[in-house]
Amino acid sequence: MILRNWLAMVLLLSPAPRYTTALWPIPSSLSRGATAVKLSSVFDIHIDISSPPADLVAAVSRTRSRITTDRFQRLVIGRSTTDISSISSARTLTSLSLALHPGSLVRSIADETNQPITSRSEVYSLAITGDRPSAILIANSTLGLFRGLATFEQLWYDLNGTKYLLDGGIDIVDQPAFPYRGFSFDTSRNFYPVADILRTIDAMSWVKLSILYWHVIDSQSFPLHVEAYPELAEKGAYSAEEIYSQNDIRTIVQYANERGVDVVMELDSPGHTTAIGAAHPELIACAAKSPWASYASEPPAGQLRIASPATVEFAKTLFDSVASVLPSKMMSSGGDEVNLPCWEEDEETETDLAERNITIADALNDFVQAVQGVITSHGKTPFIKSDMVLTHNVPVVNDTVVVVWQTSEDAVSVAERNLRFIHQPSNYFYLDCGAGEWLGNDVLGNSWCDPFKTWQRAYSFDPLANLTEDQHHLVLGGQMPIWSEQSSPENLDPIIWPRLAVAAEVFWTGATLPDGSPRLGPNATSGRNALARLNELRYRLVDRGVSAIALQPKWCVLRPGECDLDS
Amino acid sequence: MRFLSLLLALAPAAGVFGLWPQPRSLETGSTALKLASDFDIHVSVQHPPSDLSDAVSRTKSFLQNDKLGRLVVGRGSSDSSALKTAKSLKTLQLSLSKGATVRSITEESRLALGTRSEEYILDIPADGSTATLTANSTLGLLRGLTTFSQLFYEWSGQIYTVEAPISITDAPAYPWRGLMLDTSRNFFPVADIMRTLDAMSLVKMSQFHWHVTDSQSFPLVIPGFTELANAGAYDPSMVYSPSDVQDIVDYAGARGIDVMVEIDTPGHTAIIGAAHPEYVACAEASPWTTFANEPPAGQLRLASATVANFTAKMFTAVAKMFPSTVLSTGGDELNTECYAQDSETQADLTSTGRTLEQALSVFTQTTHGALKAAGKTPAVWEEMVLDHNVTLSNETVVLVWISSMNAAAVAEKNFRLVHAPSDYFYLDCGAGEWIGDDVANSWCDPFKTWQKAYTFDPQANISASQAHLVLGGEQALWTEQSGPENLDPIVWPRAAASAEVFWTGPGGNGSEALPRLHDVAFRMRQRGVKAIQLQPMWCALRPGQCNLDS
Repeated sequence: MILRNWLAMVLLLSPAPRYTTALWPIPSSLSRGATAVKLSSVFDIHIDISSPPADLVAAVSRTRSRITTDRFQRLVIGRSTTDISSISSARTLTSLSLALHPGSLVRSIADETNQPITSRSEVYSLAITGDRPSAILIANSTLGLFRGLATFEQLWYDLNGTKYLLDGGIDIVDQPAFPYRGFSFDTSRNFYPVADILRTIDAMSWVKLSILYWHVIDSQSFPLHVEAYPELAEKGAYSAEEIYSQNDIRTIVQYANERGVDVVMELDSPGHTTAIGAAHPELIACAAKSPWASYASEPPAGQLRIASPATVEFAKTLFDSVASVLPSKMMSSGGDEVNLPCWEEDEETETDLAERNITIADALNDFVQAVQGVITSHGKTPFIKSDMVLTHNVPVVNDTVVVVWQTSEDAVSVAERNLRFIHQPSNYFYLDCGAGEWLGNDVLGNSWCDPFKTWQRAYSFDPLANLTEDQHHLVLGGQMPIWSEQSSPENLDPIIWPRLAVAAEVFWTGATLPDGSPRLGPNATSGRNALARLNELRYRLVDRGVSAIALQPKWCVLRPGECDLDS
Repeated sequence: MRFLSLLLALAPAAGVFGLWPQPRSLETGSTALKLASDFDIHVSVQHPPSDLSDAVSRTKSFLQNDKLGRLVVGRGSSDSSALKTAKSLKTLQLSLSKGATVRSITEESRLALGTRSEEYILDIPADGSTATLTANSTLGLLRGLTTFSQLFYEWSGQIYTVEAPISITDAPAYPWRGLMLDTSRNFFPVADIMRTLDAMSLVKMSQFHWHVTDSQSFPLVIPGFTELANAGAYDPSMVYSPSDVQDIVDYAGARGIDVMVEIDTPGHTAIIGAAHPEYVACAEASPWTTFANEPPAGQLRLASATVANFTAKMFTAVAKMFPSTVLSTGGDELNTECYAQDSETQADLTSTGRTLEQALSVFTQTTHGALKAAGKTPAVWEEMVLDHNVTLSNETVVLVWISSMNAAAVAEKNFRLVHAPSDYFYLDCGAGEWIGDDVANSWCDPFKTWQKAYTFDPQANISASQAHLVLGGEQALWTEQSGPENLDPIVWPRAAASAEVFWTGPGGNGSEALPRLHDVAFRMRQRGVKAIQLQPMWCALRPGQCNLDS
């Protein structure tokens, strides 16, 4: 038992694991006291804004309701009952007051969320002083207030209906390091009902993610109703029930925008478009051609016939029709993994090229220029996948945002071209990796991007690695994607949560923690540090009905640091 | 087997739909046959046991409610013309072969391993005349009903097959077709366990291995030893009461599943120290890496007669809760350093004049003696046979887990064995490290795909004279990184892979299997089990078109 004593001594000597405000993402500036505070039974949230926007009122009402219904207890041995005496002597907080700084414009959260990505204001300050009955949340915008509400909600523990915290005297001044904090969602390989998307948006908003990058269509299915071409979904969706109607899209976008999440839609093209051929076979080269491995990165093969003027016109109308129903100032034309043999062996494409006396590279440039032209004509910033720029050297509109996906190493090359970009590297952020091969007849194959990207791996990502200081402004942020070959509603929550929250902290908090220490400092993933906070977030997600996986046995969760490699 | 493979070779690739596991002998036609609106299942068994009647009701309910469309492009729409002229099946007739004893499914499921009768014969004529299901036991009838319910699809209100006539003669290759669930690292409510039993039953699994306790929590309420769960469960709500256990074993038994409980000893017992600190050596000692394979450290003081007697009595009490003939005392990952540094254990060893190995043998004989007295066959993890010099009775069942390579060594020692190799069957591997402050991957990386599990050969490196020692095998979910939130998707449909290996026998072709595995996974989803998608639905509807070489 000498060992026990030694351990106890170490615990006493080491800085107390005071992580009671286990906020995720951790605010950029945070100080806290040691006063227990509980919410009054008549606790209320006041909005000190004349004619507050409806979505702010609704957000406040959701926060008030969640604070009541959350049943999450503090993660210590004995849970919240340990705190009974602290709670009985706690000061009472009767209200939270929301206000905008003088001179701020009063716009709805949705309006703020749809501002250009670099001109959004998400900064807020939140003070819960130990001696005042009212807490104060101030921001420059309703979006900032919304971020502050997300923080406020994470502060409280429950004991038999009483909501309390132990480190009152909280002072938070917070803002994101990067504006683009996203989740890329593939709804084509397998379909997800609207309810799953809405639940995901809710959870995203709780960790201050700002972008839903919706990879809505691909070669396998076309679930998007397009006003100009309803036949695309009618023929290309998996079934009539597996279509996002105009109404569904409005619902999703509005739901997201009111929760500070901007919806950036990707219509991946000219590759990844086989499903268009179900309605328009004349537009698709090498459709479902065999062996697929010669013509595509995955089955079924099939790409738009980019050399055909009719196909380009079709694509322009498609982008125009979709762009006109989306409020976001951003839209993506994808562009990954185009396959040259598919076009080289396509008679129609070869004929078109010969007639127009152009190369396939010319046709690709023209195609990208055409769809980017449509996107910009709608006042939107075009996004494009990194291989279009790095592999195919396609000229792009100046303010294009490049989605760096193949490897984190590619970020530098994009920066050297002076293009803005977001990080979505498969070697850090792909949520689908590591679950084995999904192709048939490949018995011992593992997934192409093995191994599984652990939360620790994602957390170790440095958004500014290898970049010069004058390139830093090119980094808008980043996102974790789920590609859905092996995912569906059945495993959506467990495969994305809580790992997706890691991207939220990497891009909200940036390289440093509130005390100025590096996020990736020693023991960053210790159960005393990020892991403790992430465990807490996971339990809060589960409490709210999101089926996030367990990161550890509960024994470890209740004993931060005791399940470290070196403990 | 030659006859069987000939049949399989002749069957058209797309002809065999949803059966999983594949029957040992199967003939199908290509005629559509639908269920009559007044379709019924008649049981020609005098005084049928109530669990057989329940199984018949469930089968009728599945037939009505599965509403699974055939996995082809257009789902069932291409069958509509065939359905117009299809004959209607009015009756499925169940009977036992002459002279068969009528016992409940539950009783049959709990018979000793190797004495259960699961074979059945199912005949479905194409002309609408009565289909027949015969077996030697009610358990065989249950297996046949399971097959029957997997044959039917729904389109536009019609429930039908397009493969009549169907003739199946079926029996499992191995009696032990299992799934292991760890309910200690994280807790699972009873409802999750029952849903898992339902899914197991759908693929004819026979054995639920319940790793109920471990070092992290003790959720099992044992009459006479209630202090263990009182002090060791994560929460008063996170326990399995005796009535929960009764419900679970009854639910399992009615579905053809025997429940082998494991109380892992003498390692993996730190949490017993919450109630009895004096029984546990190196409890929560640091650094845990010196004293255990994972935190928290802590093992029963096996050299203490008091502890051995306590453990034996606990097993006697546990044996009364579980009707199975098999009960596991665990025995994996014993850490000798824990005992070397424990002064109480050293004092006990000195006073008895025993080595640690001798003390372990005495301890094991004490616990196994208690099981034997309770009429149970003990099961142990492989180290008890391969790493330690423990005297075990001949009938002991040994679970091989460290590596598939170790099965042969167990067989050479003439013990019956169950395959649970981490290199094929561990469902938890590949999700990264759960230990804090370590950015490594999981110890048993990579993820064990269904394809890998499906390639398992139960007789590899085992001589013909030892072949009979192989009882079967099981896939296992250790739950350091799992909970109710991901139970279904991490287990299903992967765990069905071994269900087929041990029912149909090894050597199945993964490309042939994939469409059927899709089918059973889709059926699981229809029944509320959140089985993951193995491929984009585009591929699921087009068998063979998403192969590596297609």
